[in-house]
Amino acid sequence: MSVQQLVPLILLFPLIGGIINGIFGKKLPKALVGSLATLASTLSFATALMVFFQLNEPVKIHLFRMIDLEDLRLSASLLADNLSLWMVLIITGIGSLIHLFSMGYMKHDAGYSKFFTYLNLFIFAMLILVLGSNYFMLFFGWEGVGICSYFLIGFHYSDAEKGMLNGIAARKAFIMNRIGDLGLLIGLFLILSQFGTLEYQELANIVTVDKILGTPWMMFGITMCLFIGATGKSAQIPLFTWLPDAMAGPTPVSALIHAATMVTAGIFLVVRSNFFFEHAPMTQEIMLYIGLATSLVAAFIAMRQNDIKKVLAYSTVSQLGLLFVALGMGAYTAAIFHVTTHAFFKALLFLGSGSVIHAMSDEQDIRKMGGLRKKIPLTHLTFLIGTLAITGFPLLSGFFSKDEIVGHAFSHNVVIYGILMFSILLTAIYMFRMYFVVFFGTFRGTHEQEHHVHEGPASMTLPLVILAILSVFGGLLNLPGIWLKGQAHWLSHHLEHNTGGLNLIEAEHADNGITLMLMIIAVAVCLGALVVCYLVYGKKQNVPVEDAELSGWQKISANKLYIDEIYNFLFVRPTEWLSVVGHKFIEIMFLNGIILGFAKGIGASGELVKKWQTGRVNWYILWMVGGIVGLIVYYLVKI
Amino acid sequence: MELLIIPSLFALAALVIPRNFMRYFGLAGGVTSAVVAIVHAVYYAPTTKYVSLFDPNWTSTFGLSYKMGYDGISLIMVVLTNVITLLILLSNFNKELASNKMFTAMVFFMQVALLGVFTSMDGLLFYIFWEITLIPVFLIALWFGAPGRKQALIKFFIYTFVGSLAMLLALMAIKTGICGNLPAASFAVEDLMAVQLSACSACWIFGGFLFAFAVKIPLFPFHTWQPDTYTNSPMAGTMLLSALMLKMALYGMIRWMIPLAPESLESYKLPIIILGTIGVVYAAILAIKQNDIKRTFAFASISHVGLIAAGIVLLNVDSTMGVFVQMINHSLVAVGLFLAVDIIESRTGIRNMSELGGIAKQAPKFAFWFGVVALASISVPLTSGFIGEFLLVRGVYSYNWIIGLVIGSTLVYGAVYTLRAYQLSMYGPSKNFNFPDLTWNEWLVFFILMVLIVILGVYPQLVIDFVQPSVTRLFENIHSSKILVQ
Repeated sequence: MSVQQLVPLILLFPLIGGIINGIFGKKLPKALVGSLATLASTLSFATALMVFFQLNEPVKIHLFRMIDLEDLRLSASLLADNLSLWMVLIITGIGSLIHLFSMGYMKHDAGYSKFFTYLNLFIFAMLILVLGSNYFMLFFGWEGVGICSYFLIGFHYSDAEKGMLNGIAARKAFIMNRIGDLGLLIGLFLILSQFGTLEYQELANIVTVDKILGTPWMMFGITMCLFIGATGKSAQIPLFTWLPDAMAGPTPVSALIHAATMVTAGIFLVVRSNFFFEHAPMTQEIMLYIGLATSLVAAFIAMRQNDIKKVLAYSTVSQLGLLFVALGMGAYTAAIFHVTTHAFFKALLFLGSGSVIHAMSDEQDIRKMGGLRKKIPLTHLTFLIGTLAITGFPLLSGFFSKDEIVGHAFSHNVVIYGILMFSILLTAIYMFRMYFVVFFGTFRGTHEQEHHVHEGPASMTLPLVILAILSVFGGLLNLPGIWLKGQAHWLSHHLEHNTGGLNLIEAEHADNGITLMLMIIAVAVCLGALVVCYLVYGKKQNVPVEDAELSGWQKISANKLYIDEIYNFLFVRPTEWLSVVGHKFIEIMFLNGIILGFAKGIGASGELVKKWQTGRVNWYILWMVGGIVGLIVYYLVKI
Repeated sequence: MELLIIPSLFALAALVIPRNFMRYFGLAGGVTSAVVAIVHAVYYAPTTKYVSLFDPNWTSTFGLSYKMGYDGISLIMVVLTNVITLLILLSNFNKELASNKMFTAMVFFMQVALLGVFTSMDGLLFYIFWEITLIPVFLIALWFGAPGRKQALIKFFIYTFVGSLAMLLALMAIKTGICGNLPAASFAVEDLMAVQLSACSACWIFGGFLFAFAVKIPLFPFHTWQPDTYTNSPMAGTMLLSALMLKMALYGMIRWMIPLAPESLESYKLPIIILGTIGVVYAAILAIKQNDIKRTFAFASISHVGLIAAGIVLLNVDSTMGVFVQMINHSLVAVGLFLAVDIIESRTGIRNMSELGGIAKQAPKFAFWFGVVALASISVPLTSGFIGEFLLVRGVYSYNWIIGLVIGSTLVYGAVYTLRAYQLSMYGPSKNFNFPDLTWNEWLVFFILMVLIVILGVYPQLVIDFVQPSVTRLFENIHSSKILVQ
C-alpha cells in the first residue's frame, strides 16, 4: 500500500479500538478489552514503521474540507514527513508498551474498559496533533489530548476519600491548559490575518522561500502566542502547576500522557513552527529564560518531595524546561533527540514507579518503602537504568541527549551553561536520593505490605525491560561527532529537512577538545551526585524527615515554593469574590433593583392617580367646570 | 404551507385525544413535523432565491401583506425548530406532563408560532407571531412551573412585552414614515427595505428593534428576567425559552433589524459588541459560584449568546456562518443541559450542587452523556461548539483585538463553571439517594444530540453550504437597496 493509504490507517486503528471498547467494553472479558486496545496501538506502530521505510519526501493527504469560507479555508488533511512520523513512532511505540503494562496494572480496576477506551482515544488525539498538516488540525488534537488527560487524571472520581480531589486536579489541569489554548488560538488568528493560511508547508514556503514576513512585532506576537500555548501543554512557568497535581491519575497515564507524549506537544509545536521562531529572536530569548527558570524551579522543588510520582512529575517539568532552553537556542534536532530519549527513560521510570506502587499495595510515599532492591529485583534493575539514564550516566541515552543541549548552551552563553549544569546537578541529586531511599535500607512499610510485595505479571515486566534497553541504547540515534564521524548525528540528518538545517553544535565549535571537556564535567556531576547520595541515603540509610520538621530552603522546597498558594491568592480567590459580590450587588441589588424600581414607580403612579378617582360626582363636576373655564380662558388669550 | 398547518392540526387535536394516547400522539406530531421540515430542507437548493409558502398578492388596508416563505436562513431555523420541538417532546415522554392535553397542545401551539416567526416575510406578520409565542410559553410555565414562578413570570412577561412594543413602534415608523421619510407601500420585507431612512429615524428604528431583541436574547443588562424565569419554568418551558425563543431574537437581528435600518448599524456596532462582551464575561463569572445547577446553566446561556449577538453585528459572511453554527449548537446544548438538570432534579429532588454528588457511580450512562453535552458547551474540538466559537471569536478578534481577547476568555471561564457543575454533581462517592440510570427516551435524546453535535463539529460545511448563499444575497440586498452612509 502507498503512503497515502497507510497514513490514515495509523489514525484509524486507535479510533476504532476506542469506539469498540467504548461501546461494548463492559460486556467483553477484560483480557479481550486490554488486548484489543493494545493491538490497536501496536498496529498503528507497525503501520507507522511501514510508512517510515517508504517515505522519501513529505506527503500530504487531503481528507475533506472542513470550513470553506470567503477568507478562511480549513481542511482536514494530514502531513507525513520525517518529523511527524518520528513523533508518531514515539507515541505509538511507547503507547503500545504502556497499553501492555496497563493490562496488568489495571487488572483489578472496575473501570477497566473505560480506561482502555480513553487510552486509545488519547493516542488518536495525539496522532491528529502530530500528523495534521495545519495548525487547525493541531488545535483539534491539542484540545483532544487535553480532554483525554482530563478524564484520565480524574479517572478515580468516585473514590470515597480522594474522588473529589482527583476531580479538582483534573479540572485544574484542564483550565490551565485552556489558558494556554487561548493563547494558541489567538496565535492562529494572527497567522491567518498575516498569511491567510494555516498549512505548515505553505507557511514555510512563504516565510523561508518567498521571504514574506510580517513586521517584527507581528512575528513576535505570533511566536509568543504559540509559545503561550506551549507553556500550557508542556508545563512551563507560569502554567506548570497542573502537572504535579495530574499525578492523581493512574500511573500508566502519568507515564504515557504526563511524561512521554502529551507534554512534549509544546516542543513539537515549536519545532514545527521553527520558521517563525527563527524570525523572532525576542521570543527565542524569552523561551530560553523561561525554560531555564522552569528547569531550575522544578528541580529545586523536587529536592524535598517524598511522593514517588511527584518527584518524577517535577523531574518531567524540569526536563521540559531543559528542552525549551534548547529550543530557545534554535537547537531543534537536539530537542527532538532529548524528547525521544526522555520518552524512553521517563516512561521507564514512571512504569517502574507504577511497579513499585503496585508491589507496595498503592503506597506512594518513599519514606514508607525502603529495601525493595532484593524484593523486586527486576523493577529495581530497570529503575536503576532509568535513573542512570536521566542523570546522564556515561554512555546511556540521557548522557548523549543532554550533552548536546549542554554543548549548545556552552557555545551560546557560559552563564546559561552554568545554571543549566546546576539544574542537572540537582536532577542527579534528587533522582539518586529517591532511588536509594526506595531501594536501599530496611523495609519501612506495614507488615501486611511486606508480606504482599511481589513483582508484577509479565505484561508489566516486559515493557520495563524493553524500555530499559531503549534507555541504554537510545543514544545511538544521534551520536556526537567525536566518535564514528560518518554515522554520527543520524537523527539530526533525518530531521534536517524539518528544522531548517542541521543545527549541530559542531557547526559552531568544531573543537573536539571542548566537547570532550563538557562531557567530562557532565560525568563528574553525575558521579559526584551518585556518590554523595549513596553515602547519605544508601550507606547511612537516612530517611527523609517529616515535612513539619523541615526549615529554611528545605521547607520552601517541600511546600513547592508556595506557588499554588500565590496563584490562589492572586487569581482564584479574586474571581470567586467577584462572582459572589457581583451576583449579590450588581445582579440582584442594582440591575434587578432598577427593574423592580420601574415596576414600583408604575405602581406608585397608579396609587397617585387612584386618589383622583374618588367616585364622588361633585368633585368630577368641579374638575369639569374647571376644565371648561380653563379652555375658554386659553382661547380668549390666544385670540 | 403544510409546515404550519400540520402542527396547528396537532395542537387542536391534542385537546380531544384521550389521555392514554396523548404522549404517543405528541411524539407522532413531533416526528411528522420534523420529517416535513427535513423534506423541505432536502428539496431546497441553497442557490434558490426564495420559496414562497403563502402569498395572497393582496395588501390589507393597514399594509399587512400576509407574505410567508423561506430562504436558507429561514429554513435552517424551521428545521431547528421542528427538531428541537421533537426532542422536547421526547424528553418529556416518560413524565406525567406528556399525558396532559393542555401541555401537548401548548407545545404544538408554540411550534406554530415559532414557524410563523421564521417564515414571515412581512414585518407586521412577524410581529404578530412574535407576540403569539409569548402565550404558550407563558402558560406552560404558569401551569406546570415551580412554586415561585408567578413573580418571575410577571417580570418576564412585562419585560418582553414592553420590548416588543418598541419593535412595533419601529415597524410603524418605517411604514408610515417619520422624520420626512416616504412611507412604505406595505409591511412586506422588500417594501420596508426600500425606504430610505434619514439618520435620525434610522437610529430610532434600529433602537426600537434592538430593545425588543436585547430583552429576548437577553443581552446584558436586559437579562435579569432570564435566570429566574429559567429556574422556575418546567423543563419544557426552559428548553423552549433557551433553545428556540431566544433564537427568534437573533434571527430577527439578521432578518429585520439590520436590513431595515443598516444606516445606523455603524453607530450601534461597537455598543452591541461591548454589551455582548460584558455579558459573556459577567455571566460567566457569576456562573462560577452559583449553587443551583439550573441557575448555573441559565447564566451559561447568557454568556454564550453574548458572543453570538456580537458576531451578528459584525455583518460579514464568515462571522455570520459562525452565528448559525453557534445558534444551532446553543440549542442542542441547551436541550442537553436542561434535560440533564431535570433528570437530576426529578430523580433526587435536589438542584443544590453542594448536596449533590456521586451520581456518576450510580448512573454511568447518564454521566457519559451529560459529559458529552458539557464538553460541547465548553466548545471542545469535534463538537459544534468549537466551530461556532472559533468563527465568532475570530470575527470579533479581527474587528478589535482587545475585545477579541476579552471575549475569548469565555474559553477559560466556560470550562471553569461547566466542569465545576459537572463534577460537583457527578463526582465523589455515592450519596444517600437512589439514582436510576437513563430511560430509553432520555438516552435517545442525548444520542440524537450527540450525533448532531459531532456532525456539525466535524463537517460544519453542511450548514455553511446551506446558509451561505442566502446570507450573501441578503447582505447584497442590504447594500443595493440602501445608500449606505459611509
